[in-house]
Amino acid sequence: MARSMLIISRQSPWAGPSAREALDIVLAGGAFELPLGLLFLDDGVFQLVGSQRAASVEQKDLTANLQALPLFGVDALFAARRSLAERNLDESSLALSVEVLDDAGLSALINRYDHVITI
Amino acid sequence: MATLHLLSHTPFGDSRFSSCLPLLADSDALLLTGDATYALTAGTQPAAELERLPEQVAVFALDEDVQARALSALPARVQLLDYAGFVELTCRYQRVNSWL
Amino acid sequence: MKFAIALFAPPHSPAARRALRFAEATLAGGHEIVRLFFYQDGVHSASANSVAAQDELDVAAEWSRFVSANQLDGVVCIAAGLRRGVLDAGEAQRYQRPAANLAAGWELSGLGQLHEAAQQADRLVCFGGH
Repeated sequence: MARSMLIISRQSPWAGPSAREALDIVLAGGAFELPLGLLFLDDGVFQLVGSQRAASVEQKDLTANLQALPLFGVDALFAARRSLAERNLDESSLALSVEVLDDAGLSALINRYDHVITI
Repeated sequence: MATLHLLSHTPFGDSRFSSCLPLLADSDALLLTGDATYALTAGTQPAAELERLPEQVAVFALDEDVQARALSALPARVQLLDYAGFVELTCRYQRVNSWL
Repeated sequence: MKFAIALFAPPHSPAARRALRFAEATLAGGHEIVRLFFYQDGVHSASANSVAAQDELDVAAEWSRFVSANQLDGVVCIAAGLRRGVLDAGEAQRYQRPAANLAAGWELSGLGQLHEAAQQADRLVCFGGH
């Protein structure tokens, strides 16, 4: 059986290439139809905010790429409840459909995967 | 099942330490390397938070980093490792989550 | 046990040295390294162009020696490398850049190599930060 990997993305889209390079790992794995999960943690939850304007700082639109994840067969998408709450983000108005997990849920999630990469 | 969480950033002014601690399950372990070993500094908030972790959570630190920083009066629960011990630890836990 | 080791930090970061000492210890402990993969700022640790001061450890050079001496599979992410100016001769020519700087022992390839390594490995251990 294929080994599974959880990618934990904890940088905002605007903090350099980290958010994109975390997503690139997911997309590359999706192309091989590997069992992957993507968790948005800490500032990574800012990737889930709608109506961001990448062109304003001459960048590519990361959110558009995130929305393509299900097309790549990646639908195990998660966000940390604590991170959302700290940043006053409303779980019901995110730009991507994610499962929101509390701390215990996150512990269990991490322990379900063979490999974890936190960027 | 269990995960070895690996930290290398300082707990002072970086959020990784405080983000990691609530995610530790009882069977998980924490390995402090680099500036993350400053969490062992006696009398500090991070050291107090380490002491408050559930008893079952094992706490390790890379000895060379502790030595380099002249850290003393370490919490009793901390076990110091060399690189051979580090490798052995990664074998003992099912996965390693490095907070890059 | 089979290890995949990934480095995300440049040679001047303590994490680059820590990853090297860990990699050495895996081999010394009788384990196998299925692949080394350098990603993000880790690509700088595979540059032949960083110059350490004479009395300082040359981590990039040590990595190059380690990979060559143990005939390891050392892969540098091509997209991350291009973004940060770590190029082999082929890429330098393709993008008309003045020099190639990928150190001996390494090859540029895609992120699929990270996943392939993770599929083979019992443990994926990543290094970054300070």
